[in-house]
Amino acid sequence: MKDNTNILTIMTWVILLSLASILLNDIREFDFNQFKEFQSWAKFADKNESWFTSKNAIQWSYYVISAGLFIWRGYLIYGFSYFLSILKEIENGDYFSNNNIKYFKKIGNIFIWYTISVLVLRFLLASIGKSSFNFFNELKAEFTFLIPAGLAFYILAEIFKQAKKTQEENDLTI
Amino acid sequence: MPIIVNLDRILAERKMKSKELAEIIGITTANLSILKSGKAKAVRFSTLEAICKALDCQPADILEYVED
Repeated sequence: MKDNTNILTIMTWVILLSLASILLNDIREFDFNQFKEFQSWAKFADKNESWFTSKNAIQWSYYVISAGLFIWRGYLIYGFSYFLSILKEIENGDYFSNNNIKYFKKIGNIFIWYTISVLVLRFLLASIGKSSFNFFNELKAEFTFLIPAGLAFYILAEIFKQAKKTQEENDLTI
Repeated sequence: MPIIVNLDRILAERKMKSKELAEIIGITTANLSILKSGKAKAVRFSTLEAICKALDCQPADILEYVED
């Protein structure tokens, strides 16, 4: 079991580092200079023009939402890091611990909130006008598998809760 | 719990130590302590049989029902 745990830990680290490096590369490629343009616009903008309808404000919103997508991707990577905590508990022999139940719930939460938030942000991006948004196409996108995966983790947390109760009962049967 | 375990009394009557009983019936002293303190959730028939055999008593001598 320890060997399997070690292999799984190594695989999780590889996935985590790959995801983190892809995210960092995407952030590096993202043009943050756009925010500087907004700063200069803020200095010279026509104060009579409505803020919400001005072109620069819309453009700035687009970049803020794009940056928001990075934050959510970081949050997803943080969610993946809980796998390491679960593997650590398993390595220590605490299969049905309270911590594992908590971690499974957290992973479920993060997966579901990531998918919902990315869907909302993509919808906002489309409404700003820089991309197209089709709800059913978005649902078909590969990242939405995280919703059933998140639900599966909730179910796992419930199973582990019951298993913990059964184990406790078994331990107290003399 | 309304089930009382009278092992301490029977042990005292038989002048037997907990450690000795644990060795005879083949359970750890920690588990015997759980049983004596009433923290146990269940008792296996095999354990009950071994206790009765070792202490020469009936299950009713060890277990008692007291209404809450």
